[in-house]
Amino acid sequence: MENTINFGIDLGTTNSAVAKFVKGEVIIYSNPQDYGRNTLPSVVSYKKDKITVGNKAKEFLEKDPKSVVGVFKRKMGTAESFKIKSINESKTPIELSAQVLKELKTFVNTGDTLDAVVITIPASFDTIQSNATKEAGIQAGFKQVVLLQEPIAASLAYANMKKEREMKDGQWLVYDLGGGTFDVALIKIKEGEMKVLDHEGDNFLGGADFDNMIVEKLVIPKILEKYSFSNLEDEMKSATGKFNAKYYVLLRRAEEAKIMLSSKTSAEIVIDGFEDKEGNEVDMEIVITRSEFNELIKPNIDGTIDMIKKIITRNSLKPIDVQFTLMVGGSTYIPYVRSRVEEVLQIPANCEIDPTTAVAIGAAYYAATKPKEITKDDLNKKQTTISIKASYNKASKEKEELFAARITGDITGLSYRILRQDSGYDSGLKKLSDRINEDLPLVDGAYNFFTLVVYDEQNNLIETDIEPIGINSGFGISGQPIPEDICLEVDDYDNPGKTRLELIFQKNSILPLRKQVTFPLNKGMIKGNEDDFIIINIVEGSHLALPQSNKGIGFLKVTGKQIKRDVAKGSDVEITLSITESRDLTISIYLNMADQEFKQTFNPKVRHTPIDFLKDDVLTLSESLELEIQEATAKEDYETAGALNKLKKEMEAVSEETENLTNDDVTDKRYQLEDKKRKIAQEIDSATKNKRIQQVKAHYFEVKEDCLKMLDENGNDHERKTYNDIVAQENAFFATNSPLKIQEKSDEMHSILSKIKWRTPDFLIGIFQWCKNNQTRMNEQTQAKSLIDAGNFAVESQNWERLSEINSGLLNLMPKGAEKEATTRIGFGL
Amino acid sequence: MQEIKKVTVKVPQAYLDFMNQIFEIEKKSANLKEENSIQRNLNKIKVILEEEFFKGSSTIGLTYHNPLGESYSDTRTDCEATISGTGVENLEIIEVIKPIIFYAYQENEKVIKVIVQPAVVIVQSKNSNF
Repeated sequence: MENTINFGIDLGTTNSAVAKFVKGEVIIYSNPQDYGRNTLPSVVSYKKDKITVGNKAKEFLEKDPKSVVGVFKRKMGTAESFKIKSINESKTPIELSAQVLKELKTFVNTGDTLDAVVITIPASFDTIQSNATKEAGIQAGFKQVVLLQEPIAASLAYANMKKEREMKDGQWLVYDLGGGTFDVALIKIKEGEMKVLDHEGDNFLGGADFDNMIVEKLVIPKILEKYSFSNLEDEMKSATGKFNAKYYVLLRRAEEAKIMLSSKTSAEIVIDGFEDKEGNEVDMEIVITRSEFNELIKPNIDGTIDMIKKIITRNSLKPIDVQFTLMVGGSTYIPYVRSRVEEVLQIPANCEIDPTTAVAIGAAYYAATKPKEITKDDLNKKQTTISIKASYNKASKEKEELFAARITGDITGLSYRILRQDSGYDSGLKKLSDRINEDLPLVDGAYNFFTLVVYDEQNNLIETDIEPIGINSGFGISGQPIPEDICLEVDDYDNPGKTRLELIFQKNSILPLRKQVTFPLNKGMIKGNEDDFIIINIVEGSHLALPQSNKGIGFLKVTGKQIKRDVAKGSDVEITLSITESRDLTISIYLNMADQEFKQTFNPKVRHTPIDFLKDDVLTLSESLELEIQEATAKEDYETAGALNKLKKEMEAVSEETENLTNDDVTDKRYQLEDKKRKIAQEIDSATKNKRIQQVKAHYFEVKEDCLKMLDENGNDHERKTYNDIVAQENAFFATNSPLKIQEKSDEMHSILSKIKWRTPDFLIGIFQWCKNNQTRMNEQTQAKSLIDAGNFAVESQNWERLSEINSGLLNLMPKGAEKEATTRIGFGL
Repeated sequence: MQEIKKVTVKVPQAYLDFMNQIFEIEKKSANLKEENSIQRNLNKIKVILEEEFFKGSSTIGLTYHNPLGESYSDTRTDCEATISGTGVENLEIIEVIKPIIFYAYQENEKVIKVIVQPAVVIVQSKNSNF
């Protein structure tokens, strides 16, 4: 057990925070329900069955004051209590503060038990108020509570940041301007002892007031300059006003603009989405400059300065007697606040600490110096354990899923809370009963995890036996998997004239499925020309096989006759494929340039075999069979040649029968022929696979060797790593026995090679020389000449980086066809 | 009790700003009266962000959700709400300033989504009588 308290809590009027001293450093815990923010709004909401503390409670503060309480710190130590209508009870400021402290306990995720803590109080707190704060700590379950004044905490944070063990004797001001309150204190240090000498404050001034002023004094007048409204301000600010929702939108945007003005000299506020009384759509952008904003808040800031002046006069000081003004609180991020205070008082403003967390950090530093005084009896309290039996659907497509649980064990005084792992849902703290039911909201298309946590009266975690609640709301709940790969046939640029398969949905993917792919067209289409076309052919079967060996399940052809305008080569085609649970396949093609969509749904019960496409396929297949036979014979690979020759007869029969089919044949003949064709293709594929694998393997090793050589000479660490990664996968991709897979890795290897080459002087000079020889063919002669002059100079001065840029410039000047020639001749490219 | 691993993902603010801008464009394009196919480009951008933006892995990506019209209560920590009008019962999201942004990734073949930006919304009671 640690011997010192170590935990510090800033129990603020508007926001609170908790920090811990660990091995010389202070860590600030973040709010687990607020996406990494470090603070918890000090607001508590009560509903019949639950308590909520923080942001969610704050949202309801203004509109539901009968159930939600905030700024209760101001009432600490008074006999006043807050009537809560929803539970028909009154809550004292002490009880409310205890709720905030208990919520802060849930921030601590380091497994510590929080039994002793330092809590900060304003410099203005008297003995009764201080004791009330201590009582709140005890009610929250802390065994030991040590109090510390906020300005001293901030000063300690500063001293520790400066690593000054002993601060010099002297005095300074702590200027604390937060979201809703302002405090200033004069601190004196003498022989290592820090003391608050005097203080002033305004409980109703802070950053939120500035947001309001931006909307009222800058935004609304500017809207009225351009549009006509009879009573815009009232319609915005009144809860029953027509534009009340817009008012809150503007407040949010004003806050964003305010934050932006801390780093920029101007910020925009967009105003749109409503109409004036003449029916004109409001759509404008207001620019607010930093000087406009400064002018706006000047009276308020000057008001805070007057309070400081009072302190200085009361204590018979001169500005020179004060070392600095330590800036604390989120609103001191505003540059004008800092500069104005400094300018008027002639005391340097000190902005070195994080103004939002300084008080909690200082409290933790102080806590590290305070010994724990907790008796063993306090610690030996028995730990309750309870058992929870949960029941819920583990998969659901609903927006919400009912979670039910039965609890056994002693549940007196216990409460529970259910949280979603992504922080998107928090049930709030609810009283635990022997049966609980909750509707849990699910995020669509994902696995939803929830935790159920049980707390005792002081929000200490109680151990339970419940496992995390996991509900799959993703696709494929009880859906069926697809039995084969589903692929799209595409042109194979490595083998001109041939096609290959692009995997769209992998075997065993769960239905329904949807995917969109985009390709640049490799040919143009002229409007009205039937001979220009693109084909979308979707096949079922291994994506590593020959396209002809798979079964067609969807086919769409778009010709020039169907398009509204010419479509150029290089423009994009977007292909969207979706398959429903009942296996209906929908192909949709969108031609970007024509802004046209073509869509068709294919039913699995009906086959789609267009005769002209089948004829084409058969022709391609018999040509490649012929080629393969020649190749095998030439290589004296008689085994393969024999196997292929056997197929030749079958192929000839299929070719003949297909040729004889009329394009409007209505019999089943085309399907039978398609099946036969597929079978032949599969056999060709298996007979020649070894040959193709050997070819690609040989190519891979060739590139690998070149690459290694280049790496040794000129490679960097990153390139070496990429190379090693590919080599490490060798066994795996060779084992796939897929020529395509191996080719893919060769390409990756090749791209490393090109990258290195493009940096080496010899290579760069080589390209430059080639460009020089071809200067006369370039598109812009003057530009080419000046680039070549620059290139000559770069070569002379050995500025290789510059030469690389010049080469790119020169290649761009080459006519389109030649560019390709250049890249292939010199051995690089995509 | 088995604890769930709490995943905190920090997505650079620029990405979130980018997503917010796309959301804004989508909102504006929905209001256009003239026929257009802007939504198609927006869908494409969304697919890129969801599937291709983080190169090298198609299993992670950014998506957003517009909660407009959904009901709201204090259990919804995926939204930062401001309540307009009168009444706090039966709340509905009537305006979305920023959408909920998710970062999705795959773990043991499960798609997990983490909220990297809660929505900023204005809500109002359905019982409000204007």
